[in-house]
Amino acid sequence: MNYPHWQLVIPGGLLIAFVAVLHVFVSHFAVGGGFFLAVTESIARRQKDAALIDYCRRHSKFFALLTLVFGTITGVGIWFTIGLVSPEATSTLIHIFVWAWAIEWVFFFVEISAAIIYVKTWESLPAHDHQVVGWIYVVASWMSLFVINGILTFMLTPGSWITTHNFWDGIFNPTFLPSLVTRTAVSVFLAGIFGYVSLPKSEGRDKVARWSALWIVAGALVLPLSLWWYFACIPQFSRLYFDRGFIGVRHAIRGGIGFTLMALVIALLCGLWKPRWMRRPPVGFLLVCGLGVIGAGEYLREFVRKPWVINQVLYANDLRPARIDALQSQGVSDTANFLLTPDTASSNYGENLFYLQCGKCHSVAGYRAMRWRVDGWDTEFAADILQHIHMLRGTMPPYPGNKGDRRSLGRCLASLNPSWQFTITDANRLAVGERVFGARCGHCHTVNGNFRPLRGAFENRTPSQVRAIFPALGEMSSNMPVFNAPDDQAQALAFYISHEAGKPMPFKQPPPEAPTSRSHSRFARPARPWQEVP
Amino acid sequence: MQTVPIPQTGSLPLPGPVWLFTVLLVVSLTLHLAAMNSALGGGIWALWNYFRGRHAEHPNSRRLASELALMLPNFLAFTVTLGVAALLFVQVLFGNFFYTSSILIGVLWLAVIPLLIAAYYGFYYFSYTSEKGRGMSGFVLAISFCVLLGVAFVYVNNMALMQSPERWQAMYRAHPNGWNLNVGDRSVIPRYLHIVNGAIALFSAILAHFGMRKLKADLEYGRWIVQRSAMVFAACTGLQFLFGMWMLMAIPRHIAIVLLQDPLAVTVFGMALMSAVAAMLLILLGSFAEKNNAMVHAGFGMSLVTLFLMVCLRYLLRMIYLKPYANLGALAVSPQNGVIALFMVLFLGGLATVGYMLRLVARSGKTRISADGPN
Ligand code: HEC
Ligand code: HEC
Repeated sequence: MNYPHWQLVIPGGLLIAFVAVLHVFVSHFAVGGGFFLAVTESIARRQKDAALIDYCRRHSKFFALLTLVFGTITGVGIWFTIGLVSPEATSTLIHIFVWAWAIEWVFFFVEISAAIIYVKTWESLPAHDHQVVGWIYVVASWMSLFVINGILTFMLTPGSWITTHNFWDGIFNPTFLPSLVTRTAVSVFLAGIFGYVSLPKSEGRDKVARWSALWIVAGALVLPLSLWWYFACIPQFSRLYFDRGFIGVRHAIRGGIGFTLMALVIALLCGLWKPRWMRRPPVGFLLVCGLGVIGAGEYLREFVRKPWVINQVLYANDLRPARIDALQSQGVSDTANFLLTPDTASSNYGENLFYLQCGKCHSVAGYRAMRWRVDGWDTEFAADILQHIHMLRGTMPPYPGNKGDRRSLGRCLASLNPSWQFTITDANRLAVGERVFGARCGHCHTVNGNFRPLRGAFENRTPSQVRAIFPALGEMSSNMPVFNAPDDQAQALAFYISHEAGKPMPFKQPPPEAPTSRSHSRFARPARPWQEVP
Repeated sequence: MQTVPIPQTGSLPLPGPVWLFTVLLVVSLTLHLAAMNSALGGGIWALWNYFRGRHAEHPNSRRLASELALMLPNFLAFTVTLGVAALLFVQVLFGNFFYTSSILIGVLWLAVIPLLIAAYYGFYYFSYTSEKGRGMSGFVLAISFCVLLGVAFVYVNNMALMQSPERWQAMYRAHPNGWNLNVGDRSVIPRYLHIVNGAIALFSAILAHFGMRKLKADLEYGRWIVQRSAMVFAACTGLQFLFGMWMLMAIPRHIAIVLLQDPLAVTVFGMALMSAVAAMLLILLGSFAEKNNAMVHAGFGMSLVTLFLMVCLRYLLRMIYLKPYANLGALAVSPQNGVIALFMVLFLGGLATVGYMLRLVARSGKTRISADGPN
């Protein structure tokens, strides 16, 4: 709200993800593929294998065309996109790490020069010199990964930088090493996959096929170990996201594992065992797997950092904690720099707030659509629950506005769906109750799950006993909205809760790990103890 | 609420002194522009000579086009690489202005990325196919060149907009989705012509220098290059004075007055004009002398000096524009001296490494890196 909000059709976060996935895919290949070329060349030279040298030459041309152009420019693309979508975050990182980027730039410069020289001098340079250039490329490109890795991991685990503000504490943070190993493994994995792109047609084909497969296998074997290490080092709040029932997270985990396994199987089958099976389709599929692994990894890396973009420093909606406090007390219209309308009573203002406050992560009806997430909300309820928005499942920053803003935005949210009218019968009571639960309680509770389960409170209660508790909800926890659903919906909800909480439990649930009201106090931000690295 | 909203930069201190970032910004921008001028100016030179060289009576054109073809992708590679450095430092000093203006023209700004990728592949395509004279290659080069012209236009838009905060609010309200262009600013068009024409001028100076070095191997070809490029250089430099004047008249009166009353700015401006004239004279005279090439080389050097001075002047002009809104002197600074020292050491190491690789290439003798494309 310091900067103008770029009002796109898709959420800015998705745009960043799109550019980042493509860049990460190619840039990790740029690291691994250079290593692959250098090693392969030295083997080929030692064995005096002309076919293999010829393969290296062709592969290096493909390598240069892809990494120099697409890899480099999408890297600039990330700069552009984050500056457009999260200028505050970009500016913050620049202020902390500009010298890290300057150092990275030096490696990048050497890397580009080496790559250009390497592809051009297959004939003209003596074998030894040519290999030296190749190895210079390897070192420079890995070092640029090394530096960037420090900045990227800092965003999730700033570690002791928070107190010391020391550059090195920021770079060599708690996840620096596991992430470095993971990224190196990914690079090796991708080097193997891309190795097939220039697979020779006849001579030397089997050799290259087996050799590339080894790289895939090596990468795929290290990957689970390093990821396990990595996830052991991430903050508690991040790890909790893995069992909060987020569909996206579940897909990403399954996808990541699935794509890795499929790549492994193809490498073993069509690479090692029967190289003649390695035709275009399996190669294409391998590339898809590689992209899939990157996509899944990036999704998770971004997701587990929520609600922050830089843990404990800056929220993902590009606001500092201190700024949110100011916004909550003074309101948006008095503090924001670029508003589309000064008229806070108009519906345009509510819409403006929607884009400004929610639009970085949500669209109206597309990606992470707001429409069905707020189905069943009325203005009153929306305005109320907005002040607890950071409590939902922990992915969102506290609401950056005052009471008037909440009402304006609430009206906008309520207008996204037609208001609910039910004719409740015995046949649909349970189904309606479930919907009401989803709209009014399900964002913050499960009944029998392990996220703030309600079973304890409602076990063995009749619907009318459950119903009697609703009016008191607002007082029960300072983090709960006041209950204001119409009578018929309340009854259906009570019926549903009573029914669910009365179900026999198949096994004992682990104790709820969800934040308690004490640790979740809105007044104790940003010190949120469950977010500390244990 | 302020009438002209300026985003604040937050509470973190700058990790180095302002002067250091200023120097790095000006130097990296100069190098970036030199590379950019080679890509853009080289593009039009290659295009012209490619089509001219299709007639049998112009073998020199044909030869020059194919030599340029091999260099063009590398020019673009260094344009991007050096541009990244300038992008980094401009964000340190002027991030709040730069991000805001980028957001206002967001769609076009982001379009730069796919456009650059396309132009870059177009250059590579040309470099692989120009010699074989395949039908499409001139056409592809023409497209790439036009795309680069478009990219340059977006850049000029953004750089002008970032120093005109008073235009922001209205622009944002008109199109919050980033479909804006900054053409309401009268200085944008002359500024654009100034930089594109300047690119052709500077590359012509580079080419004159290149031609001189060809003289020894092939007198006729070398002289042909030198004379042509000297003519183009002189013509473009002449034009450049006109565009420059137009630009000076198009910037707001009160800013022009401050600029022309600022002793430092006037000194830099005067020196830039003199070095431009000197470059023009040296290259023109040198191109007529058959053998003596010191003059052309000196002229080439002077044109680089002019570029540097113009970048300095541009910086000073920006500071005048931003005077009411930015005070670099007031920024908190907490230098990361150890890291800065490490950067310097690595930078020198990096230069040495690249130098070492170039020496390997030179020693092998058979190829010159700049004149040989990937094959
Ligand atoms: C930093 C990004 C971000 C911002 C800003 C953001 N959200 Fe969310 N929101 C998320 C994520 C991530 C989820 C959980 C993932 C999902 O539901 O797919 C989510 C989920 C939700 C849900 C469903 C809650 C649940 O867990 O069932 C609602 C409702 C919601 N957001 C409303 C809002 C509103 C209203 C705003 C604006 C005030 C907002 N969000 C701003 C990221 C964000
Ligand atoms: C904005 C999030 C939010 C919503 C929506 C919400 N709650 Fe809560 N609820 C909480 C929080 C936070 C607590 C306190 C948990 C704690 O302290 O451990 C709580 C506590 C409770 C408790 C006390 C649980 C106990 O074991 O002490 C009950 C009962 C409860 N909620 C019922 C409901 C019902 C029924 C609804 C739907 C009508 C609902 N809540 C909607 C956040 C929410």
